Amino acid sequence: MNADELKAKLAKYRLSADEFEQIRGLLGGRDPVGVEWALFSALWSEHCSYKSSRVHLKKFAFKSPRVLQAMGENAGVIDLGQGEKVAFKMESHNHPSYIEPYQGAATGVGGILRDIFTMGARPIALANYLCFGEPTAPRMQALVDGVVRGIAGYGNCVGVPTVTGQTEFHSSYNGNILVNALALGLVCGDEPIVTSPARGVGNLVVYVGAKTGRDGVHGASMASESFGADSESKRPTVQIGDPFFEKLLIESCLEVMQKGLVVAIQDMGAAGLTSSSFEMAAKGGVGLKIHLDKVPLRDSSVGPEEILLSESQERMLLICEPAKLKAVQDVFHHWGLDAAVLGEVVKGPEIELLWKNDVICKIDPKMLTDHAPMYEREYKPWSAKHKVSALSVGATKFPSLVEQMASVQGTSREWIYRQYDQRVGGKTVRDCEDSLAAVRLPSGRALGLVLGCRPAVMRMDAQVGGYDAAFYPALELNAKGFEPLALTDCLNFGNPEKPAIMSEFVAAVEALAEASRELDTPVISGNVSFYNETSDGNVTSTPSTGMVGLRESISGIPASHFVKAGDEVLLWRLPGVSYVSDMRGEVKAFTGELDPEALERWFDEVRAVSPKARATRVAGKFGLGYTLARMCTDELGAKAVKGDWAGATPAWSTEHLYEVVLVGDSSLMAAVKAACERSHSHVWRLGTVEKGPLTLDNETTDLKTLRQAYKTGWSKHFAQLA
Amino acid sequence: MAKPVGILRFLGTNCDRDVWQAVEAMGLTPQWLWYEDQFAVKDYQGFIVPGGFSYGDYLRCGALAAKAPVMKSLGEAAAAGYPVLGICNGFQILCETKLLPGALVRNESRRFIDKWVDLNLVNPTRWTSRSQGAVHLRLPIAHGEGRFVMEEAELARLFDNEQVWWTYGDNPNGSMRDVAGVANEMKNVCALMPHPERAMFDWMGSEDGRAIFSALLQ
Repeated sequence: MNADELKAKLAKYRLSADEFEQIRGLLGGRDPVGVEWALFSALWSEHCSYKSSRVHLKKFAFKSPRVLQAMGENAGVIDLGQGEKVAFKMESHNHPSYIEPYQGAATGVGGILRDIFTMGARPIALANYLCFGEPTAPRMQALVDGVVRGIAGYGNCVGVPTVTGQTEFHSSYNGNILVNALALGLVCGDEPIVTSPARGVGNLVVYVGAKTGRDGVHGASMASESFGADSESKRPTVQIGDPFFEKLLIESCLEVMQKGLVVAIQDMGAAGLTSSSFEMAAKGGVGLKIHLDKVPLRDSSVGPEEILLSESQERMLLICEPAKLKAVQDVFHHWGLDAAVLGEVVKGPEIELLWKNDVICKIDPKMLTDHAPMYEREYKPWSAKHKVSALSVGATKFPSLVEQMASVQGTSREWIYRQYDQRVGGKTVRDCEDSLAAVRLPSGRALGLVLGCRPAVMRMDAQVGGYDAAFYPALELNAKGFEPLALTDCLNFGNPEKPAIMSEFVAAVEALAEASRELDTPVISGNVSFYNETSDGNVTSTPSTGMVGLRESISGIPASHFVKAGDEVLLWRLPGVSYVSDMRGEVKAFTGELDPEALERWFDEVRAVSPKARATRVAGKFGLGYTLARMCTDELGAKAVKGDWAGATPAWSTEHLYEVVLVGDSSLMAAVKAACERSHSHVWRLGTVEKGPLTLDNETTDLKTLRQAYKTGWSKHFAQLA
Repeated sequence: MAKPVGILRFLGTNCDRDVWQAVEAMGLTPQWLWYEDQFAVKDYQGFIVPGGFSYGDYLRCGALAAKAPVMKSLGEAAAAGYPVLGICNGFQILCETKLLPGALVRNESRRFIDKWVDLNLVNPTRWTSRSQGAVHLRLPIAHGEGRFVMEEAELARLFDNEQVWWTYGDNPNGSMRDVAGVANEMKNVCALMPHPERAMFDWMGSEDGRAIFSALLQ
């Protein structure tokens, strides 16, 4: 191979010259041949190998006694006691969703569901974390429409409720939206948790689910590249989803697992059959013999390389004992699906790929998995660029309460979640309308789910934002009486080869890791999405999270709005970071710092006091004024006045990390005061709940105006979407 | 012992477990009826066709399920006067088999809608025989194709025949004359688009669904 040929090969397979040399070393000095190129291309892609992030992801290597499965499996699993376990994970589908929003978002949901039921868990809840550009950006209305329709089309049909979500808008996402999907599944009683390592020489390798086509070939390496002007031409690399097939796959896979017919199972996700078979073999320390010509095809012209890399959806690879094959096939046939034997488990270490009985590749899978490159990308220790000793707002113009409610940041997301089935499954206690989702467990307890990461805080400071990605959802859970247990993350960042991006990545990961240790909520699963950039720049670094919590009872969860006139409205704060955001929700500077240890202690107090409150709400974007406005109902408002809790900046729109509004009868104050003494926090009486308008100091806004602004803001920004 | 309540399952049915939970909550015994199998009508006290996406809504909602072997037995049960309830996709399936009149087409908004709705009882049927006079219910809907349509004249006859079961308080999907649920002439086969099985407990947001399932109590 001459230099030009080599250059062309490396470009086609998206490998660097250094990586080529590493491959030659692993292969005993020879060049890769035939499908080996495609294998290294796929499994050494950023998407599959985590080569830029692995070094730092080790910082999450912390477990609590509840953790049954963590990183390295398809999803993490935690033990809830009383025979109940939950598996959950979050994953990005950013690039496909920008290219083809409906299918990109739909297959994002399908993929994350497979990660959950692969473990033997029945999916019971979905959530999505979405970041879009400005509503006026090119294609943005169509992208919002397509993504929401895609999530709805898939989730509703497959019969898993979407119970919560978060949607952000910012110009940095104009050319690269973020679509992160979270799925959560339940394992009960003596149902098994099934893992992926292949075992047992002589066991069969069985392919189940949809037939293989050309869709998604090279999808994994596509997702590991930045977007250029040619992103349109990448449409053929986007997969097509079929939720009906997925539903059949859920039922049949859970049945074979619960009947004990399966040794190991893994879904065919990124890099399809290649990553599933190579990872299963490498983890199990065995070899596999796979006849690629036995893979069921949609189109007989699909060749071996495409079969290896196809990302056709709704497919699983499983290992079973030969004696159990008939029983496995019976279950799949019952559900109208095929199960094809591709080969068998052989003595390790090599995987042998055959095409019409010719060996086309024989290679040790560890070369592609364990020996994948790992980079220590350049970064700088974090220094807070926007930190000041005292906030000053100068001539900054701040939005009025009504403007906040109607703004794209502040308006209701009802248009989105109306399109999601939030109740299928009969477990939903709190839905998308609330600040947290809750589902009822068979034991009668409640499982809470909250998403985290606020891009505005990330833009302010990546370290504070990283902490916030864990602390904010943790406070939301505690304020409703849920004990936070564990979290999953989806780290959406720009180009890791740029030190500025890598510095934000490391700062956010370290802060998130520290917060999770402090909260005793280990990161049990997750995904990294790099190269979220366009020619105009990088997206906001966005480490989205999903945190689950447990509550002993489903009854008595505090409301998120005012319930009774005459109730006292309290503000409870642990001083830390504070800042003010402008008209567009942007933050110029912040002051103060977070004390993770103190926060954790305070959160426990918040949780202990929460049952005494009729309503609670964590103060978030736009500060206290917006928070109180969101607590108003059609009839109930409040009268609140400034006190010594206010500083030099506008009292009702300064944001504090962290503070929570509690509402209850006159006995609530005493309980909170006692808790303050134990946690160095402060409580103030803001005012009372009243029938009628919302009055903040001398400013009165009638409820109808507030509700109207909140409800109709969306249609002003998204006039094209009926 | 009371006979079980048969719950039909097609490929793609996804509210089957929810209906099972609701039937159990009423103290009744649920039993699955698989789409490929026929059954002996007399072994059951009633039948429910749950919601979901049978066959992925391919071709037309409910069209493929309507041709499944289990529907032959269900037709016999309907003719023999057994109580048969269709919910959401179950409603669509019963219309496709002509056990119920009318058709359900795409919502006026062209979008899937999940929300709580208020319903008004228009005519009592077999499935409201033990509802203790409940004339207003609050139940959730979750459908993309729930707009009830039929010929104007036929619809007028349906009202005259007292076959209109429920109407919406605030019509969410553009259904003709706000129709949310209908019955056959014998009033034993009934269906509605809202999901009573999702309103069985206080923690779900409403217990109004019990007014419907209570019809099966002896």
